[in-house]
Amino acid sequence: MAFYRGEQGSVKFDDAGSTTATIASTRSWSMTIEKDVLETTALGATYKSNIGGLIAGSGSVELIYSASSADETNVFIKAANTATDQGVAAFELFLDTTGTKKISFVGLITSVDYSATVGELEVITCNFVTSGTITTSI
Amino acid sequence: MAALDLNAIRAIVEGRLATELAIVPVIPVVFHNVAYTPTPGSTWAQCSVSFGANNYMTMGSTAGASNSVIGVIVVNIFSAKGVGPGANFTVGKRVRDLYNRIVVSGVRFDPPTGPEVVATPSPEGYFQTQVRMTFETFEDL
Repeated sequence: MAFYRGEQGSVKFDDAGSTTATIASTRSWSMTIEKDVLETTALGATYKSNIGGLIAGSGSVELIYSASSADETNVFIKAANTATDQGVAAFELFLDTTGTKKISFVGLITSVDYSATVGELEVITCNFVTSGTITTSI
Repeated sequence: MAALDLNAIRAIVEGRLATELAIVPVIPVVFHNVAYTPTPGSTWAQCSVSFGANNYMTMGSTAGASNSVIGVIVVNIFSAKGVGPGANFTVGKRVRDLYNRIVVSGVRFDPPTGPEVVATPSPEGYFQTQVRMTFETFEDL
């Protein structure tokens, strides 16, 4: 049975929503996909029943600040501080190094946490939400 | 990007100490796995560099990824017995100042510990203190 470890993952991003590029020095990512639940319980029923509703995703990417500017990394860590955001950025969250197992979607970065602590690496956490279809090729 | 050259890091660490202690007043310094017979009652130093924990820093496999490599420098300072610690601490300050929070060629030195007095000097017949510093460097694969 094949198992995977976190270091096999990676993140790609493009703010224009076209060709994604690897985000440098990514340490972790996480994503939650949620589906609205609509109750359809009939009057007089004993047990509740539900159906699925709209689907949306959100999550975060944690990276180590490296002053990288030659790729999408710099755009990525500043994306929350842009005046207009049409929510067209392309995200790809990879689970393995072959590049075939990934979650891809269009979305936008909603907030960024910058931090610096004495004696520790400087870490930036970017939080995102999806906008539209989420493809889970995993 | 390449795997770390451990001897290059060792050379950075040892080179700084050798250069500093070659300045008057010169203090003989002996490095790991090198034979040395000290002159009785003299002041001299012994330096060892060891590599310890290696940790994942970023995602990626054998390319485009980074590791953290931690190491430690231990400098034992020997001086004449029965004449107080002053001369020994003067050397300790020189060693401490040499690495204290300094970044050299990508090697980051943490604040030093010591000079701590060693209760049982080895070899005997000296007043011994020890200065220890951890350092960290990043390996970009």
